[in-house]
Amino acid sequence: MMGAIFILEMKKNLQDKGLLFWMVILPIIFTYLFIEIFTSGADDMAKQEIITSIVPGYTVMFVFFIMISMVTSFIKDRDSGMTARIASAPIKPKFYLLGKWLPYIVIVCVQIFILFGFGKVVYDINLEQPILLTSLSIILAYMVTGLGLLLALSVKTENMGIALTQVIALGGALISGLWVPIDMMPNMLQKTAEFLPQYWAHQALQDTMHGTLAYKDFFMASGVLLAYGTSGFLLAVIRYGSFLKVARS
Amino acid sequence: MVLHINRVKKEYGNKEALKSVSLVIPKGTCYGLVGPNGAGKSTLLKIIASIILDYDGKVRLMNPSNQNLKEQIGYVPQEICLEQNLSAISNLYFFGKLYGLKGQELKSRAMEVLKEIGLSDRAKDKVKQFSGGMKRRLNIGCALMHRPNILIMDEPTVGIDPQSRRYIFEMIKQLQQQECTIIYATHYMEEVEQLCDEVAFIDHGEIIEQGRVDDLLQRYAIPSVFVKGMKELPEQLITLGDITPHKDGHLIATNQFIPVMETILQHYQEESDKLLRLEIVRPRLEDVFITLTGSELRDGQRGHV
Repeated sequence: MMGAIFILEMKKNLQDKGLLFWMVILPIIFTYLFIEIFTSGADDMAKQEIITSIVPGYTVMFVFFIMISMVTSFIKDRDSGMTARIASAPIKPKFYLLGKWLPYIVIVCVQIFILFGFGKVVYDINLEQPILLTSLSIILAYMVTGLGLLLALSVKTENMGIALTQVIALGGALISGLWVPIDMMPNMLQKTAEFLPQYWAHQALQDTMHGTLAYKDFFMASGVLLAYGTSGFLLAVIRYGSFLKVARS
Repeated sequence: MVLHINRVKKEYGNKEALKSVSLVIPKGTCYGLVGPNGAGKSTLLKIIASIILDYDGKVRLMNPSNQNLKEQIGYVPQEICLEQNLSAISNLYFFGKLYGLKGQELKSRAMEVLKEIGLSDRAKDKVKQFSGGMKRRLNIGCALMHRPNILIMDEPTVGIDPQSRRYIFEMIKQLQQQECTIIYATHYMEEVEQLCDEVAFIDHGEIIEQGRVDDLLQRYAIPSVFVKGMKELPEQLITLGDITPHKDGHLIATNQFIPVMETILQHYQEESDKLLRLEIVRPRLEDVFITLTGSELRDGQRGHV
């Protein structure tokens, strides 16, 4: 039963051309433009350092835009009566949520693969610890979609979801050092960044590229990301009752 | 298998949507649930379909197979809940899988349902290309995939053409022959008269009356004789029924319509050309509702008579 929801959600997303733009084309354009801007006049070593920061930084920022698709999907189902109709079937809420959630994890994993692939092909970035990088990518996808699930079940309107996604994605990017290197930021912001998942994801991804991510740091970063993602899912399960109450039928 | 709805109450904030509703719906019945918009019909249906879970009271299915209530129910919501960008058959597969159908069973059941709803030749077309009536039929088809014993239909004919309406009525009659219990919510009285064996009138969250359609008509609605002529009515009619002016003539509410008609015919015997119209007006459920509530029910708009 969960598989049916997974397949349906996957089909819907594959038909969505907007998703391709937000998740792949736009990040590639941004990454390319900002690398061009920041590396102009830089020597080879500095250039490599900037690229190693921008590629994972913009990847982390743009994975958050999956939240828009998640919000749109849930709100559409809620308002069309689909949520209520599915609730009348013998499927437990947690499996319904898992069925809706898993496709987005797959999509974000593919997105990360494409964006790093772009970095490798165009800028020949280092990917020194591919296994840890892959693991972190999956955990990052889990985290961001877990939060997306919570957001989708909490907002009243699609516009509210889009606005909040932008606050989370852009605000988080700014504070977590995805745009500007974290050590150039004020002390207070550096401390604040440690509470945000974007910071942990960015730092860990950068370290895997350099090949300097220790297992201790990997587990620390993974723990933070898994905690965010799991909290998102559990709170979404709790929110489901209220979400169903306002669902049309 | 009987569905027992026992003292079901539901509140939305301070508003009581349902006030201790009790119903017994026997197997194989087409049970009409009639009331104006906001009366509590949809809330009651959502409770029966286990969409609303926080309510007081009990909904029980007395069945020997001990199956889960949800597995026995097919729910046809008022909205068209279909994936518009997918084909008719993909939609049927989706809902079939939700109820555990798979493999060859799923495929053959989808083909059967497509035939039942008259969309076999449009199986692979996207739903967004369908007319409103076709979407309504597919909406019902999705609820039939798992062969439910109870089919809940919430205003299934809203906004469709007469042809599709007839098609849906035929489907419902076929389902009745297969002993499927149907709970049919509507505010179209004539649909209930045409389809339902039993009916419950619901208003302001309460069941104001319930029973067999024929019994209610007999109990609450008196047949009338309509007469339109160019002469005054004979005086002796006053003793035979209540007379009210109606559309350039008179309605005589009476159970003794044969004596009334004979009296009128005798009255016009010498000048039959002056009798323009004489007919029996059969009672309708609308009249029962008016008798019970003192108000009319038309497309959800209520106005005092």
